[in-house]
Amino acid sequence: MSGEQTLDVEVSAIEQLTPLIKHFTLAPVGGGAMPAFSGGSHIVVVMRGGARVHRNPYSLLSSPLELGTYQIGVRRMEESRGGSHFMHDQVAVGTRLEIAHPVNLFPLDKIARKHVLIAGGIGITPFMAQLEDLHHAGVPYELHYGVRSPEHAAFLPRLREHEGERLHMYYDSESQGIDFDGLLSNQPLGTHVYVCGPAGLINRVTATAQSWGWPDSHIHWEQFSAPPVGDAFEVFLARSKVAVHVPPDRSLMESIEAAGVEVPYLCRGGVCGFCQTRVLELDGEILHNDHYLAEADRGKFIMPCVSRARCKSLVLDL
Amino acid sequence: MLVTGIKSKPVYAPLRADARGRYHLMLGLGSGEVALLRVLQEMQDAAAEGLARTRVLLIPGGAAPDAPAAPAATDAAAAAAAATDAAAGAAQDEAWAAHQARGEIERMPLLEVRSFPDVPSLLAEFRSVLADSLMGTRLYVAGPESFIGLAMRIALEFNLNKDEIRAEQLGTLARRVYCIHCRTTAENVRTNIVRCPGCDRWLLVRDHYSRRLAAYMGVMVDAEAPGELPPVREVFV
Repeated sequence: MSGEQTLDVEVSAIEQLTPLIKHFTLAPVGGGAMPAFSGGSHIVVVMRGGARVHRNPYSLLSSPLELGTYQIGVRRMEESRGGSHFMHDQVAVGTRLEIAHPVNLFPLDKIARKHVLIAGGIGITPFMAQLEDLHHAGVPYELHYGVRSPEHAAFLPRLREHEGERLHMYYDSESQGIDFDGLLSNQPLGTHVYVCGPAGLINRVTATAQSWGWPDSHIHWEQFSAPPVGDAFEVFLARSKVAVHVPPDRSLMESIEAAGVEVPYLCRGGVCGFCQTRVLELDGEILHNDHYLAEADRGKFIMPCVSRARCKSLVLDL
Repeated sequence: MLVTGIKSKPVYAPLRADARGRYHLMLGLGSGEVALLRVLQEMQDAAAEGLARTRVLLIPGGAAPDAPAAPAATDAAAAAAAATDAAAGAAQDEAWAAHQARGEIERMPLLEVRSFPDVPSLLAEFRSVLADSLMGTRLYVAGPESFIGLAMRIALEFNLNKDEIRAEQLGTLARRVYCIHCRTTAENVRTNIVRCPGCDRWLLVRDHYSRRLAAYMGVMVDAEAPGELPPVREVFV
């Protein structure tokens, strides 16, 4: 968050859940309880100690009713810029990390009459906490969970035990796919659909729901984009009067932070809109990688957390 | 003044078909039938297959009061009821237009058109239709504001959001007024100040609207100087 009001935590347990996903338990340094949160919230983990600082958003997957620790699941990304590799390779039990306070950009609708949750792979994590809320809510729900193969299905035993027939599993390895039309054409009025996972899954669910007449207010999705790599470029911060070089493997936001200028943020994944920054001058083009800016605002603004530029010059109102 | 510039006051707009909806459910009272016919013709002109997935529930013009009849417990309410009757008599042209519109609606290739004798029977059917409806349904309501409010209140129970509901206000602006002191709701209020049928307090009718109660808030107007009332005027006609 702006001003980096972080909490100090210590890794109290690590479990390899699947070949790609590690499960981390974070306990407050000095004991006590973590701040309360609602299902769907994420934290930003600040990783220091490597060659540079990483700040990655991760959904909280522990129960909102149990605040002694937080739990997150981290998938090892093939094209990692370093964050997920740091978590997988450098972090051990006892490692201290800083985290930003939880923020919920993916909440359950409080007055929905039914919830349909759709997860792809690591996209299961926000639902793990939401399911804890749903167990007490008394509202019908179902969970559709697609993974590569059974060995990649994180939390499967726990889900089978608690969700029973509300859990629907789909394995790519057995050529099982979600019947999106069947699922979304036949839901009672007042249903909300939530999807978290790869972009393809999110696009498919949104488009199918819309084709069956679902209004936008009943369709919810969350996808944190990792900041993509790209060509290096230069940017000038008008208010701070600082010139910043953005290398290929570092995001604009990270580069600005490394230059000592703070950018307000909540998600660092192109979703929340908190870091929206006005573009004062541009000779070239902006590569908008966010999920936030409206078409009309693209070019006037940039989301430094995930977007880059291919330009001769770029001046930002920072 | 206490009554204007309130954000909760509902805003209505002429009905347009929502091409993104898959099923369409339309409610009309009185001259609301004219507005519904306009939407249905718009759908027909767009060659929308939606007509066959459209259900229309109507209260024919002139056949019913705008809301469940309340006992005329006060002079103001009695005057309001009388004025409603007078307005109904004077609005024969409107009634004729609504009658014509109903005939045309009944000739369209819709899933269903049904007429009801009064608001409670229509709303009971509306509720049971909603219980069996699927996501993708759009609601259209056309008629007096109190009728729209009662329909919206039921729609809210089924978690219909703003982007699933369209409403056009036609006919009387008479209000349902909720007494914030004794929680009685007065029907068919046409005056800026009304005597509460529950507790006899004189209430100022505010623009502060509750979707859950489907009513405007009425607040005691002479609390500080009992008996001193601003001029009572007929403003919601």
